[in-house]
Amino acid sequence: MSNIKARGIGFINTYKAFTKAGVQSSMAYRASFLCFVLGESLYCFVMYFIWKAVFSSSGNSTFMGFSMTDMTVYVFLSNLVGFLTSTDSTENLADEIHDGSIIMRMIKPVNVDFSLLAFELGNKVMMITCVFLPVMIGVEIYRFTVLGYCAFHIGNFLLFVVSTVISYLLAFYLNLIFGYLAFFLMNIWGFSILKGSLIKFFSGSLIPLAFFPGAVRVVFEQLPFASLVYVPTMLYMGKYSGWEIVFVLAKQILWLGVFIYISKVIWKWAQKRLAVQGG
Amino acid sequence: MIYVENVTKEFKKTVKNPGLAGSVKSLFHREYETVKAVDDISFEVPKGEILGFIGANGAGKSTTIKMLTGILTPTEGKVEINGQIPFKNRKKYVKEIGVVFGQRTQLWWDLPLLETFSVLKQIYQVDEEQFKTRMAFLNEVLELDDFIKSPVRTLSLGQRMRADLAASLIHNPKVLFLDEPTIGLDVAVKNNIRKAITQINEQEKTTIILTTHDLNDIETLCKRIVMIDKGKIMYDGALSEMKQQYGKYREVNMSLFQNEDYEQLHFEEDLKLGGDDLKVVRNKEKITVTFHSDKISVSDLLSYILNKTQVKDISVNDVNIEEIVCRMYGNGVSAS
Repeated sequence: MSNIKARGIGFINTYKAFTKAGVQSSMAYRASFLCFVLGESLYCFVMYFIWKAVFSSSGNSTFMGFSMTDMTVYVFLSNLVGFLTSTDSTENLADEIHDGSIIMRMIKPVNVDFSLLAFELGNKVMMITCVFLPVMIGVEIYRFTVLGYCAFHIGNFLLFVVSTVISYLLAFYLNLIFGYLAFFLMNIWGFSILKGSLIKFFSGSLIPLAFFPGAVRVVFEQLPFASLVYVPTMLYMGKYSGWEIVFVLAKQILWLGVFIYISKVIWKWAQKRLAVQGG
Repeated sequence: MIYVENVTKEFKKTVKNPGLAGSVKSLFHREYETVKAVDDISFEVPKGEILGFIGANGAGKSTTIKMLTGILTPTEGKVEINGQIPFKNRKKYVKEIGVVFGQRTQLWWDLPLLETFSVLKQIYQVDEEQFKTRMAFLNEVLELDDFIKSPVRTLSLGQRMRADLAASLIHNPKVLFLDEPTIGLDVAVKNNIRKAITQINEQEKTTIILTTHDLNDIETLCKRIVMIDKGKIMYDGALSEMKQQYGKYREVNMSLFQNEDYEQLHFEEDLKLGGDDLKVVRNKEKITVTFHSDKISVSDLLSYILNKTQVKDISVNDVNIEEIVCRMYGNGVSAS
């Protein structure tokens, strides 16, 4: 028992070191982070005005169960989720495979996936604190001024947090699998672009999945991409109830398990036929 | 300590036909050919030895090192180090080894050097006490103090290499792999690194495998060398023995007053010597005659040359180790 505990502490300490390094590394490039936030905010406002135009020209105050207020919340929240769950694991891993520096990770007594994950989490700490709270508060102030009452729901918020964490892990492993493709393709630029578009479309970050016609929507909702952005956002907005909540969360966890498993299998397989590039 | 038995590593390579047509064709249909990077090699290294691993570019040195460090899986054969099989349980195995790839770095690019060490301390779970003594020792040997607070990206190559060597030793590994640890460094830093390696080997009885193109590294550090060419072991033995075996060669360096005089020299006809026993290389005015001193004595050769020509300058030298290695590579090529 004490052995297991000691190993657990060792495990945490090992990867905590990566997280700490991630925090420090992210501090080295503050200006680039600032530009990124500005760009993302601009995108949100563009989306907001597009939807505003759509709503005012349709003549109806609601569309597929979404009011303009819902839509505004959806735009900002889905982008926030997209941002929180964004991951560079494809590029980071693919670059390391491409230039061969992955061997420097392999000579350490660490898992390749955990060490990348822990480092990225460290990288995100500052982003999360700088973006998460302002957007959340902004959204709630907006809802309060439009609706006239406080719509914030602590239960929905907690569900949202849990769902977003799973969503991030899901995104991480999905992207990791794409990264591993670099072992076989050596250049994954084209695939990266394809993956980006697919995720944008199927995850609901471009158009809420609720807006798609019946059968298409049902199919889209089962795909893993829906778990990335759509599910956490809808949870926050309180669009699910009762068993639905359990069901969407279970689906997220199931997909996460599937992706972790696939990534492990690919890694095992790749290690056997690994040809390290350069030197 | 280190056992390598009949190890072979094959790679599949895609073959592309030349030109645009070939590129288009390879998009749809790929042809593969199998390349043997390492071909049936075996050797052993006892504890505490420094083994020099030499060979031309692409000879299979790095592939071997990558198999020994658990990165690559051998196609065939057996590797056992510290009683473990490197690629079987990689995470457990690498805790006991240190690795430096001279062309890469294991330091965190954006962090001060000190932070890299504290990350490594946690990764290898080195306790505070040991870490302090270890750092003090490495500081003293590798003189890290001047730049330990600077971000790694601002370090010079020499500083970075010293730091990388220190980073590979923080957890007191039993075996140290150094793949070209002196590449691109100036003489002073090279000496510093060599001194450090010797000191670590003596104090900790660390077993070290070293690959290098700088034969001075070999001369100062290794008693034993393994030479590899085209994936096969060409020579495995003491450095001194190799020198003795090939050290019977001498070379005469000379220049003549009149270059046409060279036409007077017919080594092959007059002395009945050729092939490996006597070689002549002309480089503008400079003429180098390499010969086996058992086949013809220095005085005989000199008197022959002096009789036939007007010599401006002449000297007789031992063949240095670089020459020996060149000669062996040459044999390797002709043998295959």
